[in-house]
Amino acid sequence: MKVNYAWLKDYVGDALPDTGKVTDLLTEHAFEIDGIETVGSHVVIDVDVLPNRSSDCLSHRGIARELATILDTDLKYDPLAIKLNLAPTDKIQATIADTSACPRFTAALITGIEVKESPGWLKERLESLGQRSINNVVDATNYVMYAIGQPLHAYDADLFPQVDGKWQFGVRFANVGEIVEILPEGGSTEPRQVECVGTELLIVDESSNTPIGLAGVKGGQYAGVHDGTTNIIIEAANFHPTITRKTARRLGIVIDASKRFENEPSRDLPLYGQYKIIKLIEDIAGGTYEGTLDVYPEQKENPAVSVRVSKTNALLGLELSQADISAIIARTGSAVTEVEPGVLSCTGPWERTDLLIEEDFIEEVGRLHGLQNITSVIPETTTPGAVNPQQHYSEQIRQILLAQGFSEVITSSFQKKDQIQLQNALASDKSYVRSGLSKNIAAALDTNFTHTDLLGIRSVKVFEIGTVFDKTESGVGEHLSLAIGVRQKGNGYTPKDDAPLQEALDALETGLGVTLESKSEQGVIEVNLSELIAALPVPSAYSSSSERKVTTYRTVSQYPATARDIALWVPAEFEAERVLAILQENASSLCVRIDLFDQFEKDGRTSYAFRLVFQSTERTLTDGEVTDIMDTINQVAEQNGWEVR
Amino acid sequence: MIDEINHIFTDIGFSFEEGPEAETEHYNFDQLNFSPEHPARDMHDTFWFKGKDVSDPTVLRTHTSPVQARFLEAHGAPAKIIVPGKVFRNETTDATHEAQFYQLEGLHVDKGIHLGHLKGTLEYFFSKFFSGKTEVRFRPSFFPFVEPGVEVDMRLLEGDSKLAGKWIEVMGAGMVHPNVLKAGGVDPDEFSGYAFGMGIDRLGVMKYGVEDIRDFYSGDLRFVNQF
Repeated sequence: MKVNYAWLKDYVGDALPDTGKVTDLLTEHAFEIDGIETVGSHVVIDVDVLPNRSSDCLSHRGIARELATILDTDLKYDPLAIKLNLAPTDKIQATIADTSACPRFTAALITGIEVKESPGWLKERLESLGQRSINNVVDATNYVMYAIGQPLHAYDADLFPQVDGKWQFGVRFANVGEIVEILPEGGSTEPRQVECVGTELLIVDESSNTPIGLAGVKGGQYAGVHDGTTNIIIEAANFHPTITRKTARRLGIVIDASKRFENEPSRDLPLYGQYKIIKLIEDIAGGTYEGTLDVYPEQKENPAVSVRVSKTNALLGLELSQADISAIIARTGSAVTEVEPGVLSCTGPWERTDLLIEEDFIEEVGRLHGLQNITSVIPETTTPGAVNPQQHYSEQIRQILLAQGFSEVITSSFQKKDQIQLQNALASDKSYVRSGLSKNIAAALDTNFTHTDLLGIRSVKVFEIGTVFDKTESGVGEHLSLAIGVRQKGNGYTPKDDAPLQEALDALETGLGVTLESKSEQGVIEVNLSELIAALPVPSAYSSSSERKVTTYRTVSQYPATARDIALWVPAEFEAERVLAILQENASSLCVRIDLFDQFEKDGRTSYAFRLVFQSTERTLTDGEVTDIMDTINQVAEQNGWEVR
Repeated sequence: MIDEINHIFTDIGFSFEEGPEAETEHYNFDQLNFSPEHPARDMHDTFWFKGKDVSDPTVLRTHTSPVQARFLEAHGAPAKIIVPGKVFRNETTDATHEAQFYQLEGLHVDKGIHLGHLKGTLEYFFSKFFSGKTEVRFRPSFFPFVEPGVEVDMRLLEGDSKLAGKWIEVMGAGMVHPNVLKAGGVDPDEFSGYAFGMGIDRLGVMKYGVEDIRDFYSGDLRFVNQF
């Protein structure tokens, strides 16, 4: 919700601190701030209003009230605290077919207005929020919505047929296949035709049963306000949050109005909306107010909630007195009375529909008192009660395979084609969930083989432990699976790959004390781990936490690596580590690893063979660059009295 | 990395739990106080299984929190569990978002548990995980399954890491909502508890400076072998 700072000041008055302090206070006690921007001479704060406060805080008055609560002050001007005295009218009627879907419907008649450009202050305020100015009447409806949170819609009364001298509105559900024409959207100039499925709530012109808008979601062009309009009817209603949301989601229309209705604003709000817009229209468009129709079949009031001092302190970890708690809750505008010592009866202000249970009020106490006042309780070192077999054995398998030189990978759960397809996939090549890990492991062997030099490994050995899905009689089944793969030659599986796989399998069999039936298929073995673990004894103790190596991480380069080998005759007093250190010192930062791969002694000298791997994170290295580095290394070798073979 | 996280929590008495990745709507949403059609469900872009494949509406779990509901229903209180696991969100992937990622859920329900226990436990965890004294602060937030709900920021007080000295938003948490306790057969007047959920990938990004979350699921050993 974009909030104009000057607009806030209308309500809060001089007690409003500067923007920096405003954003700090909101962040600490209420909402996250998404940003601050300057639009012309206006400062606009983007407040990320939480879902539970979208009923009252998607408005300038709501944010102003929140700030006043945090600052423990009163609003200088509160548009929701005025005494309503709206004259009734019998010239408008409304028939509500389902009162739970539309708990309140109001319509005000204003005659003799002049549609024209909005005054500068109004245009500026709307534009600061990113809203284009249209004309004074439409702008007024938007202004009131941003001011207090009530969506409104204006009709040209002369384009709306009357029956027996009365305008007749209806609110009913749509018929299947019924067509509603709604206002153009998203830069289009053409109205959008919507075909209904029957769950949409419609506003209709009762005289001809013509749909004129999707209730709470989007208005139509029917009886639209235009340059020559002189008499208007303003609608302000309350619609069921779920019905509004369903229609808005189905049609992909999420606009300011539906966003407010789906968060259940107070049913008392529509008349305050009427009061405010009538005053505003009189100011900027002239005319005479004739009266308001108010149909309010489903009244609802906020509940009185018992709030215990003991429970409040028990959840927050604080030691507040009853007087403290009572005073903090009262700051929200709630009515607070003592039921008995230690128990308060609290009723939220009418515009807050989110204060319904004891914990809701406890949250208010916590955040207004300040969450920074909560003191940490240091946890005690203890042993957990039970050991989880799946975790325990998975960890054991990991350790066994890591010791065998395998690396653990985690691969995607999505597949291009498999047994079970999702209803709403991310992309056509990711629309199935995997029924096994083997395919991904085989792919990992392929991609990693090209990097063996860079990794300093002779063969690729990987494993994955992960969940797989299959079709069962009762629906979608799942189990934990283990897949192990080995690749020694780049051009695919060779039977030689089975030997290291068998070694790994033997190590698992010994470590776990089981017999594994699984066979290698193209250098990959897959085991149903859930079944395996179920057959193993229940573990009784957690392994103790071990000292871990310090890990640092470097971005993986997108550019190819180049390897060069060097073989050296070195006097026996030079140890491998020293030779390696000297090479590292002189091999430039482009050398990403050096591995010793061969070593033997003869006639008091040692022969070392090293593989040097070069790679840049910024570009593909040229042959010349690498040769230059190797030349330097050759020179260094000679200076040390080594013979390059 | 998950193993490292696990050990920090087992040292202070948390035990492991797990749950299905193909989870029913009942546990993924209903039992966690996400009422049907409530706007809070928009916070989770969900993958659904086809109706013909399942007897009850089923999703790829959008969070590890369903295990809270399952555990309380099966074992009642007290409860002190952590749940590491893969979760899924139907979102376009980029360097900081993956459609699949790892989450770590924590739940501690007992007599007299309050927000101070949550704060102390998280400070303990981060200090161990980032190998330096770390403080935690709470800001107001909203999640359907907790009340009060908080956003958790952490700040590393020591060391020369890039993270040191800066407040960083790390997770959502709060006191378990009474509706969740009741759904699990636990009396909210007798027991209280906290719950938290964080992205493990995100912790990795912070600790190791990983630039692209998608690397975690690439199966690329140039990435994996560094850990």
